[in-house]
Amino acid sequence: MGEIDFYNPEYYTNRELSWILFNHRVLNEARDKSILLFERLKFLSITASNLDEFFMIRVASLWDMVHARYQKPDIAGLTPKKQLELLSVAIHELVNLQYSTYNRSLVPKLKENGLVIVGRHEDLTKKERVFVDKYFEENVYPVLTPMAVDSSRPFPLIRNKTLNIAALVRKKDSGQELEFATVQVPSVLSRVVELPGEGKARKIIFLEEIIERNMHKLFLNYDIVCAYPFRIMRNADLTIEEDEAADLLKEIEKQLKKRQWGEAIRLEVAARCDKRLLRILEEELHIEEDNLYVIDGPLDLTVLMKIYGLEGFDLLKSPKYTPQPVPQLPAGCNLFDEIRKGDVLLHHPYQTFEPVVNFIRQAAKDPEVLAIKQTLYRVSGNSPIIAALALAAENGKQVSVLVELKARFDEENNIVWARMLEKAGCHVIYGLVGLKTHSKITLVVRREEDGIRRYVHLGTGNYNDATAKLYTDIGLFTCSEPIGEDATAVFNMLSGYSEPLVWNKLSLAPLWLKNRFLYLIDREKKFVLEGRSARIIAKMNSLCDQDVIAALYSAASAGVKIDLIVRGICCLRTGIKGVSENITVRSIVGNFLEHGRIFYFQNDQNYEIYCGSADWMPRNLERRVEILFPVDRPELKEKLLHILQCQLDDNVKASVLRPDGAYTRASKRGKQACCSQEAFCTEAVEETKRMAVEEDLATRTFIPETGHGE
Amino acid sequence: MGIRTFAAIDVGSYELTIKIFEFSGKDSMREIDRVSKRLDLGSDTYASGKIGNEKMDELCRTLKDFSDIMKAYKVDHYKAYGTSAIREMENNTIVQDRIAQRTGIRVETLSNSEQRFLDYKSIASKGESFRKIIEEKTAILDIGGGSIQLSLFDNDTLVSTQNVRLGVLRIQDYLNRFSVKSTQTEDVIYEMAMARLDTYEKLYLKDREIQNLIIVDDYLSPWAVKKSGGDSGKAVLGGEEFDQIFEVLRSQNPVQIASAMDIPQERVSLVFISAVLIKCIAELMGVKRIWVPGVTLCDGIAYEYAEKIKMFRGEHDFEEDIIACALNISKRYMVSRKRSEALDNITTTIFDSIRRVHGLGRRERLCLRLAAILHDCGKYISLVNTGETSYQIIRATEIIGLSHQEREIVANVVRFNHSRFVYDLQRTDSLDRDAFLVVAKLTAILRLASCLDRSHKQKLKGLKASLKDSQLILTVDTQEDIILEKGFVEVNGEFFKEVFSVEPVLKQRKIF
Repeated sequence: MGEIDFYNPEYYTNRELSWILFNHRVLNEARDKSILLFERLKFLSITASNLDEFFMIRVASLWDMVHARYQKPDIAGLTPKKQLELLSVAIHELVNLQYSTYNRSLVPKLKENGLVIVGRHEDLTKKERVFVDKYFEENVYPVLTPMAVDSSRPFPLIRNKTLNIAALVRKKDSGQELEFATVQVPSVLSRVVELPGEGKARKIIFLEEIIERNMHKLFLNYDIVCAYPFRIMRNADLTIEEDEAADLLKEIEKQLKKRQWGEAIRLEVAARCDKRLLRILEEELHIEEDNLYVIDGPLDLTVLMKIYGLEGFDLLKSPKYTPQPVPQLPAGCNLFDEIRKGDVLLHHPYQTFEPVVNFIRQAAKDPEVLAIKQTLYRVSGNSPIIAALALAAENGKQVSVLVELKARFDEENNIVWARMLEKAGCHVIYGLVGLKTHSKITLVVRREEDGIRRYVHLGTGNYNDATAKLYTDIGLFTCSEPIGEDATAVFNMLSGYSEPLVWNKLSLAPLWLKNRFLYLIDREKKFVLEGRSARIIAKMNSLCDQDVIAALYSAASAGVKIDLIVRGICCLRTGIKGVSENITVRSIVGNFLEHGRIFYFQNDQNYEIYCGSADWMPRNLERRVEILFPVDRPELKEKLLHILQCQLDDNVKASVLRPDGAYTRASKRGKQACCSQEAFCTEAVEETKRMAVEEDLATRTFIPETGHGE
Repeated sequence: MGIRTFAAIDVGSYELTIKIFEFSGKDSMREIDRVSKRLDLGSDTYASGKIGNEKMDELCRTLKDFSDIMKAYKVDHYKAYGTSAIREMENNTIVQDRIAQRTGIRVETLSNSEQRFLDYKSIASKGESFRKIIEEKTAILDIGGGSIQLSLFDNDTLVSTQNVRLGVLRIQDYLNRFSVKSTQTEDVIYEMAMARLDTYEKLYLKDREIQNLIIVDDYLSPWAVKKSGGDSGKAVLGGEEFDQIFEVLRSQNPVQIASAMDIPQERVSLVFISAVLIKCIAELMGVKRIWVPGVTLCDGIAYEYAEKIKMFRGEHDFEEDIIACALNISKRYMVSRKRSEALDNITTTIFDSIRRVHGLGRRERLCLRLAAILHDCGKYISLVNTGETSYQIIRATEIIGLSHQEREIVANVVRFNHSRFVYDLQRTDSLDRDAFLVVAKLTAILRLASCLDRSHKQKLKGLKASLKDSQLILTVDTQEDIILEKGFVEVNGEFFKEVFSVEPVLKQRKIF
């Protein structure tokens, strides 16, 4: 012992490959026959949109490194080039599995259930052909922009992620030379077109098939030799992925200027595509063999979300779950009064997000409230929180809001809201230089009879009422003085002022959150070395920080029992002899997106539980402002421990990481089936019922009329 | 609501700080917010005597933010004080006006002795811990950007306090200018400090045994308080502990120090200078314990405010500290203690008896007492020109807790006690109209008192004074001959009459 190098690359999994495994787990949901058919469509669609995002951020980033001749290996000892090679194989496999799921399982199943997808326009009936042609002329034709390529017209710009149809055309009469033409499938029109019904079954066709069928109407003086859809993904991500080493940044910035803008890093074409056409595309877009994806089915499976949205088929979709009220915070209560009675824990989406919105709303109107301060990372469209903040500013409260402009894909959205808040008189901070503000914290300062009192909401999820219905998150309301002081200090720091001398309860990244985690892990190790029992349970989205993993290995090798619930990427490997035999990793992929971060440390006799906004990833611990907060009240700690325990017992939606690096479904052998997400739903509903009964009991008195009435 | 919210703003030479306090009921002072911003005003001022435009903008922007913070908390009152960086600015009046115009905040300047007094009060605001520690012989080392202040305690009263130009920023400025190598830094600081402290040691320390050293600074204190988990009462270091810390500072590079101590790297060099100074002085005094309460000027400002609005009744008598200091100064110039005390008695008796006529307050009474105690210090230099020499000595001597103006008043009162009163003082000197009147009134009282003790024999025991119509009847019980005193009162009573329209009459009541 002690001789083991816990940083040995062999003990780590590459994060990109681990991500592919995660997407496989989502895909498994789409392949799970026990799941309702339309839900399976949804999962397949999610794998497709996940993959798109992965390409744009991660793969693009790797290409940047290759272009910059960046050789540094990752934690698993792979150079960027090697990673791309491995990824190409893995992604091709994934895509093949996506389409075999689609073609072999879902399409036939849909047909059985009364929904026919007409894959090729050639398969349309006569009547249907008339319908689609008419549909084309009336709706589609006016918005198309066909483009041909010849000596006077260069190859057009193909937009990122758009669906296009490429064609080989030949001038009528002249008759020898083949020319290239292309047209974008308009994104303003629905890609799913329902055909007029004949009998019971409903039929749909994709828009690109309709356009393909009517291609000749776009190029009147030409004969269409062949026409096929294609789609490209560009490396248009000019902001460098922050997870890479800092020394890389400068290098890439130099490269950026030299590089052809937005090179294509993926080309998807239909399987039956004409060889000549393909060659033109490959040449013009500079596509290498590895980056070509030949697709057997419709391109861009995110379209399945549209099919999910078709009216009807309700029996094939899961019934919508209604988030339950929080017992301690009944509707219409004064939140400040209730919070003063004691800390309140919220578990979304099982419990409603409404109190969080009301917290701001009530603060905006409360005459005793002096100030409201909040960090916003991703907000929903038409956010009621923004409206409440604006109202508060108009009511003369001091409102400071940190709007993180660097939230990926939400930049534009956030700018709009930030402007609106500024107009209303809020003090808006547009993030911090070099750091993303990922923490979720709200502070309400109230002037009460016995002095200033601070109310704080801390969360693991964004202040977004829309995603709060889908993401599982933890929130905490408190007015404890130490946390209030810390919260004030957090906002002072976010406004550019100095760090306070002492933090009472909160731990902040990038200051020393990482050290805090390392300390907590190490403390368990110490206990185990002293011969006491020690245990860590941690739930997060991703785990890829090498220092944290090495600390976990070191603790586990000393005998600490470690159970991890990691939804996505996990660079840690289990079952390595003498290193990680004491570690288990499981991933839960279900109807709700697992999003909460909960950390349990046994701490000998007196266990500690923390929640926070940070994953154990370098970017969270080093380049983001994150907050970790302890939950102190015994009954709330128990509740959190119950959540963790229930997820560890999950054998329906959980997959377990095996020593060979693969994930397999948790074993049900000898155990009752347990689906944690369902269990939480049931518990929340039951609690509501119990509260209702208790209320009935409590109010079982007659209330005499005291007035005569009107 | 019995709650008052107060903001204390410290425009320091190194950092701007605002603290929001809440006072509820007696003796309860709660800090609810604290915001500081690093802004190095000192380097500009110490180097060029002025503040650059960029810094001015930054200063105003930050103070505007502070003003917003105050609004957000709806504070009832605020005090904003500038310390040495503002004080030593040539154009500070202009700067203060610009700040007021742009931010609405009136920044007042504190004289060094006022500032140190507030720092001292802030230590006293730590209550029990403070009382306990000053039971033993104790020194306070108050390290600022421009200078340091050394104060000594004996039997829980302040006995001396001295300003030495060894401020941390000033030293750093020297080090940069002389481009001192990092390996030599410690020695250079040591030499600089020792050169200055040499005389100090001879004059003030002699063979005093100092047990405790209390540190007030903005450099090492934050760290020390952090280390003790925020409880300032516990931030006490033994000599060995301090040596260990010092060893860390000495042996590691700035990056290591920053991470070991969890402080910003830019601060490391200042922390180091501060630590060398502490080490140097601790060795000089041979102290056993170092207490780093982590108090700041803002605490002192708030303490003072709380005293003023009577939310606080501090246990420690700060006025006695000032008097004790003055007695020590007069001792240094060989003024007879007996006479000083006698004069102190007489002046206060007179002062109290004609309160109706002079309309002066507590502070002026303190000035008068100081003047009485210091009235003869100039004799140390010249027996002829006592007025002028006393005046110069007082002007050049720091008396903790006095503002510049108050010191000027004391000096002038002493001067005119010996020499002709100058009526156009307000035109020629830095005194304004009100201060001039105070000088006149106090001079009149002190002169009268001096007459009463003309023989320096303290004949007039049991002096009673009472105001009757336009006469001040001074009655003494003594068997001795008081012809000399009587004569002087008659001759010099003129000025008293001129100032108060009251004629002093000395009566002797012989009791057989």
